[in-house]
Amino acid sequence: MEDAARSLLEFRHISKSFPGVKALEDVSIDLRAGEVHAIVGENGAGKSTLMKILSGAYQADEGQLMLEGTPVQKNNPKMSEQLGIAMIYQELNVTSELSVANNVFLGHEPQRGIFINKKEMERRTAELLDSIGVNVPPYTLMKNLSIAQQQMIEIAKALSKNAKIIVFDEPTSSLTETEVKELFRIISDLKKKNVGMFYISHRLDEIFEIGDRVTIMRDGKKISTSLIADITMEKIVEGIAGRRIENIYPRTPCAKGDVFFEIKNLSGDRFEDVSLNVRSGEIVGIAGLVGSGRSEVVKAAFGVDPCRSGEVFVKGEKAPGNNPQKLSRMGIAFLPEDRKREGLALALSIRENSVISALRRLNPLGVVRRRQEHVTVRKYVQDLEISTPTIEKLTKFLSGGTQQKVVIAKWLITQAHTFIFDEPTRGIDIGSKSSIYGLMDELVAQGAAIIMISSELPEVLGMSDRVYVMAQGRIAGELDRKDATQQSVIQLAFSQKGE
Amino acid sequence: MQANRHRLRLSNLPNSIFVFLFVFALASFGVPKFFSPGNLSTLLLQASILMILSTGMALVLMSGGIDLSMGGNLSMCGVVIALCLRDGMHVLWAIGAGVLCGALFGLLNGIFVSKMKVPAFIATFGSMGIAQSFANTLSEKRTIHWEAGPQNRLLNFLGGDVLRIEFGNQASMVLSVSFLVLLTVCVLICVIFLFKKTVLGAYIYAIGENEETARLCGIDTTKWKIFVYMLSGALASVAALLVLIRTNSMQPTSGDGLEFQAVVAAVLGGNSLKGGRGNLYGALFGALTLYVVRSSLTLAGIDTSVTMIVIGAVLVVGMILNELAVRHEKNLRLRTGRG
Repeated sequence: MEDAARSLLEFRHISKSFPGVKALEDVSIDLRAGEVHAIVGENGAGKSTLMKILSGAYQADEGQLMLEGTPVQKNNPKMSEQLGIAMIYQELNVTSELSVANNVFLGHEPQRGIFINKKEMERRTAELLDSIGVNVPPYTLMKNLSIAQQQMIEIAKALSKNAKIIVFDEPTSSLTETEVKELFRIISDLKKKNVGMFYISHRLDEIFEIGDRVTIMRDGKKISTSLIADITMEKIVEGIAGRRIENIYPRTPCAKGDVFFEIKNLSGDRFEDVSLNVRSGEIVGIAGLVGSGRSEVVKAAFGVDPCRSGEVFVKGEKAPGNNPQKLSRMGIAFLPEDRKREGLALALSIRENSVISALRRLNPLGVVRRRQEHVTVRKYVQDLEISTPTIEKLTKFLSGGTQQKVVIAKWLITQAHTFIFDEPTRGIDIGSKSSIYGLMDELVAQGAAIIMISSELPEVLGMSDRVYVMAQGRIAGELDRKDATQQSVIQLAFSQKGE
Repeated sequence: MQANRHRLRLSNLPNSIFVFLFVFALASFGVPKFFSPGNLSTLLLQASILMILSTGMALVLMSGGIDLSMGGNLSMCGVVIALCLRDGMHVLWAIGAGVLCGALFGLLNGIFVSKMKVPAFIATFGSMGIAQSFANTLSEKRTIHWEAGPQNRLLNFLGGDVLRIEFGNQASMVLSVSFLVLLTVCVLICVIFLFKKTVLGAYIYAIGENEETARLCGIDTTKWKIFVYMLSGALASVAALLVLIRTNSMQPTSGDGLEFQAVVAAVLGGNSLKGGRGNLYGALFGALTLYVVRSSLTLAGIDTSVTMIVIGAVLVVGMILNELAVRHEKNLRLRTGRG
C-alpha cells in the first residue's frame, strides 16, 4: 500500500451479500499498472463476484472502488467500459456470423454519418491484431476461427476500447499448449504497454509463469496477497483449501475381480484396433495427447459415436453397437467432459437430475413417487457429501465440483457398475478435485470399475492401477501402476506408428 | 488472402439458391406451361409480396424473435390505405398513413417484446389477432373499393408495366414486368443496404446470438429490437400496398396466413428460429421457391387444398436440410479444429 499513488485500481473494503450468502466480506485488493495480478480460490470463493463489481454487473453493498485515486460512483457496464475496464470471459462473447472487424468494434463502430466506415474499421482492426501479433484477416467470419483465435480477437476488442485494465477469467481452459504460449506472449506485451491485468485461473502453474502478484481468496474473504517470488505452490494450495492437503490422490489397494467392461479390436473414424479392459475394483487410466483418440474410443464403445468394426463386452455379454440406452441399462455410466452441456440438465434441480435416468426403476408403476425420490436422493447427497442447502437447488447454481458429484449420483442411482470418466476434474478447483478422487476410490472399493480419461498426467498416475497410453489412434502401450511414470507415459504418448 | 476475399465461391452461396434453382429447373421441365413468359410474369408479381414480408420476417428471426402479426398487420394497413382512398384522400397521404400505421404497430410489438419481456411468439400472436380485428372492424368485413380520380392516378401508374415484351399473341406469351416488381426491388435494396452498410446488421446478429453479449458491448438492445419490429411492421404495410394495387381493391382478409408463408420462406432461406444466423438473400430465394412450387401445382391442376400439404412438406424438408448442413459444418469444424 505504500505506493498507493501508483495503483491503477483499488478495491477498498468491498462487501457484497446475496440473499442467504455473504459473497464478499471486506475485501481490499489493488492493481498496479503493468502487472498481472492473479486471483485464486475455489469456485464460490468470491472471485467472480469481485470481478462483476468491477465490470458494473453488480453493485457493492459496502466499500469503495478507486480508479487512479478517484472513487468510482455507481458503476454500470457501459460506464466501466468508458473507464477502460475490459473483461475476457471464460465463455467467449462472440457473434459468430460477423467478421472479425465487426466483432472487435461491436457497439462502437467507426461511422461516417449513419453508415459503418468499413474500411476504417478493418484498417484499425488489422492494426490492433498486428500489435498483438495475430495474423487473421479482419474480414474473416468469426465462426471460421479456432477458440484460441477468437480469444485473441476478444483481447483486440479490449484494446480497441483503450482498456487500461483487463480481466482474464479462466482464459486458458479451452486452449492447447501452444495457444497458451501465444496468449502469454500477448499478456507480456500488454504488461509493457502498462495495462493492468487480473488473471483468474485454476491452473496454478500458469500463475507462476506469468503472474507478478497473487491474491488468495476463500469463502468471500481475502486470505493473502503476496509476490509470486515469495510464495510456493504448496502455500497457495494450502491457502485455497484452508487446510493442508496431504495426499490429493487417496488410493487404497483393493482386490481385483472379474472383467466388467471390455473393448476388443475397436476401429473407428479416428482410432484403429483398440482393445482394453477394466476389472471390478480397478481404476484404469487412458492417457495420451489431445487428439490421440482417447475420448473417441470411449464414445464409440458407449455407442454415442459410430465405429467400423470391433466388439464391446459388458460382464462377458456382448453389447450392441450404437445404442447408449442399452449400455447404460447394462450398468455402464458415461460421464462426459462437458458436464454442463452433456451431463446435466442445468435448469433442473439436484433431485430431478439425480433421478432422471432411474425414473423407471424408482417408479415402476409409471407414477412419480416424490417421497421415494426424496429419500433416495437425500441418501446419495449425504453419501457423496454434496454440499447444498436443499436438494431442490438448481444445478446451474452449483460449482463445477458439485455438478460432477451430482452426475455421479445420477449414475449411482441407476446402479451402474462401470464408470467411464472423461476428464473428471476439468475446470474443478483443487479442493473439490481431491474429494472427487476420494469418491472414485470409494467406488472401486465397493467393487465398481472405473475408466478414466485425463490430460492431467499427475491425476492419471496418482489414481490408476493400470494405464493405457494412446498415440495416433492406437494403444501405444499398457503400463502397470509401478511402471507408470511421467517419463514412460510421455514416451509412449509421443511414439510413432509401428515403432 | 486478400485476393480470396470477394471471390464468388459455390460453397459461400446460401443453400437456398441451390434449392431454388433445383425446384425451378424441375418445374420448368416437369410442368407444361410453367416456363412461359406469362406465367413467369405472374409468378414474379405474386412472389414480390412474399419477398417483402419474408425479408421483414428474416430480420426479426435473426434478432432472435418472430413476428406473427405480419399477416394481420398487412390486412390492417391495407384497409387503412383503402379507406383513405375511398374518402378521396390524396394517394401519397393514404400510403403514408398505411406505412405509419404498420410501423406504429411494429413499435407496439417491439415494446411488448423488448420492454415488457413478453416472449415474441406470444406477443405477436396476440397482436396478430388485434390487427386482424381492426381490419375487420374498420372495413365492416367488406371488400373496399374506391373511385378512380386524379388524386390516385399514381396507383394506376404503379399497377402498369415497366417492361412488356410480346413473344406471341396469347396472354401466356407476354412477358410483363410490373412497376410493383420494380418497387419491390427498390424496397429490398434499401433494406439490404441498411442491413449491410449500417450497424443494423451487426447488431441484429449480435442480439440474436447472445443478447447479454450485445448488451455488454454497449449496444442498446431494447432500442434496436424495437426498431427491428418497426421495420418488419413497415415492410408489412408496403406489402399491403402491393396487394391493394394488384387487386385494385382491398379485402380485410388479404393477409390471412401470410405470416406463416413468410416464416416458411425465411426458414427455407437458412434463417434459424433460434436467431443469430441466416441472411436476407436466403429469405428472398425462399419466397421465390415457395411461389415456384405453388405456381407449378396450380398449373398441374392440383387442388388448392393440397397446396398447403406440399408447402408444409417443403418447410419440413427444408428444415431437415438446414439441420444437416449445420451438422455437416459442425463436423468439419470438429475435424479441422482441435481435439
